[in-house]
Amino acid sequence: MKNLFTAALAAFALVLATGADAQTKLRVFSGGQQQRPDLMKRLFDEYTKRNPGVTIEIETGGATSELQRQYLSTILNAKDPAIDLYLIDIVNPAQYYGAGWLEPLNAWMGDAATAMKPYLPVYATSNVVEGKIAAMPAFADAMFMYYRRDLLDKHKVAEPKTWDELVAAAKKIQQAEGNPNLQGLSIQGAPIEGAVCTFLLPYWSQGKEFNDAAGRMTLDKGAAAAGLRQWLAMVDAGVIKKNVAEVKTPDTVNEFKAGQVIFAINWGFAWDRFKDDADSQVKGKVGVMPLPAMPGGRSATCIGGWQWAVSAFSKNKPEAARLVRYLTSPEASKFLAAEGSLLPTYPGVYTDADVVKAVPWFKDAANVVVAGKNRPMSRDYGQVSDIIRTTTSAVLARTKTPDEGVAEIENRLRRVMR
Amino acid sequence: MKTRLLVLLAAGIVVANGFFPAAWILLTSLKTEAELVSKPITYWPANATLGNYVQAFTDQPLLRYLGNSAVVAAVSTVVSLVVAALAAYAIARLNLRRRQLILTCIVASSMFPLVTLLVPIFETMRTLGLLNTYTALVLPYTVLNLPVCTLVLVGFFQSIPKDLENAAMIDGCTRLGALVRVVVPLAAPGVFTAGILAFVNAWDEFLLALSLNASASMRTLPVGITLYQGEFTFPWPIISAALIVAIVPIAVLIALFQERVVGGLTQGGLKG
Amino acid sequence: MAALIDRLRDPSEKTLGLLLLAPAFLLLALIVVYPIGKLVFNSFFDLRLSGGGGAARFVGLENYALVLTDKDFWHATKNTVLITLITVPGALVVGLGLALLANLPFKKMGLPMWPVRLALLLPWALPLAFAGLIFAWFFHTEYGVVNDVARRFGADEPTMWLLRPGWAFAAICITIIWKTSSFMALILLAGLQMIPRSLYEAAEVDGASRWQQFWQITIPMLMPSIVVALIFRTITALQTFDIPYTMTKGGPGNATETLAMLIHKTTIEYLDVGYGSTMAVCMFVLSLAVTALYLKRIGQQA
Repeated sequence: MKNLFTAALAAFALVLATGADAQTKLRVFSGGQQQRPDLMKRLFDEYTKRNPGVTIEIETGGATSELQRQYLSTILNAKDPAIDLYLIDIVNPAQYYGAGWLEPLNAWMGDAATAMKPYLPVYATSNVVEGKIAAMPAFADAMFMYYRRDLLDKHKVAEPKTWDELVAAAKKIQQAEGNPNLQGLSIQGAPIEGAVCTFLLPYWSQGKEFNDAAGRMTLDKGAAAAGLRQWLAMVDAGVIKKNVAEVKTPDTVNEFKAGQVIFAINWGFAWDRFKDDADSQVKGKVGVMPLPAMPGGRSATCIGGWQWAVSAFSKNKPEAARLVRYLTSPEASKFLAAEGSLLPTYPGVYTDADVVKAVPWFKDAANVVVAGKNRPMSRDYGQVSDIIRTTTSAVLARTKTPDEGVAEIENRLRRVMR
Repeated sequence: MKTRLLVLLAAGIVVANGFFPAAWILLTSLKTEAELVSKPITYWPANATLGNYVQAFTDQPLLRYLGNSAVVAAVSTVVSLVVAALAAYAIARLNLRRRQLILTCIVASSMFPLVTLLVPIFETMRTLGLLNTYTALVLPYTVLNLPVCTLVLVGFFQSIPKDLENAAMIDGCTRLGALVRVVVPLAAPGVFTAGILAFVNAWDEFLLALSLNASASMRTLPVGITLYQGEFTFPWPIISAALIVAIVPIAVLIALFQERVVGGLTQGGLKG
Repeated sequence: MAALIDRLRDPSEKTLGLLLLAPAFLLLALIVVYPIGKLVFNSFFDLRLSGGGGAARFVGLENYALVLTDKDFWHATKNTVLITLITVPGALVVGLGLALLANLPFKKMGLPMWPVRLALLLPWALPLAFAGLIFAWFFHTEYGVVNDVARRFGADEPTMWLLRPGWAFAAICITIIWKTSSFMALILLAGLQMIPRSLYEAAEVDGASRWQQFWQITIPMLMPSIVVALIFRTITALQTFDIPYTMTKGGPGNATETLAMLIHKTTIEYLDVGYGSTMAVCMFVLSLAVTALYLKRIGQQA
């Protein structure tokens, strides 16, 4: 009897020992430098402290959304099980889920509607595909209208609420300052992802929608052409520079920082660049406001941001999903906001006392973000984005007229966004 | 006197043509980012700084990338040369039927753009469990360089008189022995030429390295350099510094061996 | 058994040939033949990864029929052929010029050879993708050196190089020629140095001018080197990807999109693997045809 007992004890101890040794290793692809792997690492450390059975390894790579898409495309195409979690751009969940690369998270997060409720309204459409949760929101981003508060004050110009007011304000300041290098407005016209927003912003600000809830295209050609014509009119008026089709996101930021721009449309990260960079000539002179509307329309902005998704080929799905839940919790959102000025995904966090203390401008940001809209959700987003951004850039380069451009967009997308 | 001036001018043109982008990159690597948007553009840096180099090495493990590139390029060059030498000998010396066809096949393999073979190659490496290893890159690079190396070496082997080998074989060497002891040393210039071609090709390759060796510890230089840019930033000064770090080893290598390379081509490399 | 070992120790030509060629063919099978096979296989399917996890539908030759009527495909092919027709002769001419300059008797004047040779090789040693980025910056409307130089020479309106289809095309061709002419120059330089001086001296005695000497001695003697260089250059030109990709991404619109770029976009971005494979096979056939043409012409001359 005693022998049996000792044997059982030994066996039990053995099981305990192997159980304790049963570490799950999760490999996480957390994007490039801009996705703040340093902050993510601190979140991971906190998680492993609370869950000693898990180790997390970070994989970064692919500097831009495009390069990452390329890299991920190749890996996921080959069904690589090496990586368990992916941090992906907000435009990608529908496409990746459609390709069968993402594991639906309903089993761990609950049904889609309830799971998405605490977050910003935009995620209910961007992250959910046919009732399945493809990804959970990590941090948000949006396009803001930055402006030189000092110049507006100096020339007694009020914050413009419509595009026409903005043009008038810009022209007035440009004439008064007499500096030939001073741009009225800087937007991104190069064929980058941001150009999709350049197309959509004036369109949305007329109150139009690009697609319905089912993903079918509902393009109002007249409005779209009017939007593009508005940009071109600004070029003709000297408010936007002629080679706008060469301007990429960093160009706008660098030129604004050097004091060469009055109004600039750019993502949320730019605020810190303007405020903190050593070579910034505009410290303390920058204001932020919602994007102007067209008469009869409303202010609208483009939502960006990143999402956590679990690989369909992962061998540790439950553990990965648990990590995702932690990474997308209000606590994590607060941390990322306060430490990294990354826009929160929960409306409530914007007005949280600690966050407001660390990042005072988030109070104003909240209204902008809540009114944010999604780029077209489609499982063929790669193609949709390519068509919109190349055509928009071509129109801004004046190699196509706005009507030709819009006709081409409609033509090509009709086949894709049925 | 006049000829000397003309010759100097000629040399100047050639040197300027080859060096000006590198010179531009060098100057940019000493500037600050703010200076890059000044109008009109500046050529000489206003306040030259070495800070970009420091940042290039600290933002990313540039030294590690250098090491990886060196290993992959060196190993694939050696393997390529060995395999090419064997094949070239067979084509040049042995009386095989359809030699021309075999050579054409090898050359034809370079007709497929790498871009299209990317996904199948990735899948193969994954199935073999070779992802994120040096082998994953060495194998494709070897194949990439095989056509050129083989072509160069075939030309060389054909120009070496058969009598020397026959003499060696009469003295008791096997064919393979003759290959190693007689032919290869005589073809040394060709080996150098082919070697440099292979090395630089491997050093510069980007697409495969991006997909196959993605983890930070195994990345090669070209891939690493694209990672200084961010979604929202394109730090030209730092990227320029990293580019200089990438170019200098190759430039030194070429400077050391340029005599051999040209000599190699002169001595009858590419006579088809 | 003993017979086998005997054979291995002193193999017949055929066995030796097989052994020597084995490593090369094994590698080629793994890295080239198998992927190409998969490519051809995929081209017969409607394989779209965006449409539900890779369920492939066999469509036979339908993809090929689609390709033949695809406007974008023919446009990209046209661009690719144009680039080839411009940059291959362009690189040859520039390369020949550089080679002739580099062939001047520097050594006799006591000048070092290595800067010249290094200058010839440096453009080739620069990674393609970065050459594209650097030249894109050179051609930038505001911050580019090209426009700055033009401005100093009195041009009033800066050319928006990369924003006009014609100019962008030109900028790309210039970059490609710059990059590839250096390697051509090297090969031609080697060829030049092989031409015996005696030929020139004899011609001079016969009263031939420099120009005549050039056309009747230099060019014919260089022919073999020229041909080999042209074949490789043409194959690479048909595959042009990195430089237009980094300079204009195929823009404005798709004015500078090459075949390789279209295939890459279709496979990696649109995730339409079946159709992308079809275009890749067509591209291979095109390359093969062009090379066969070359080889035939050489065969005729020789």
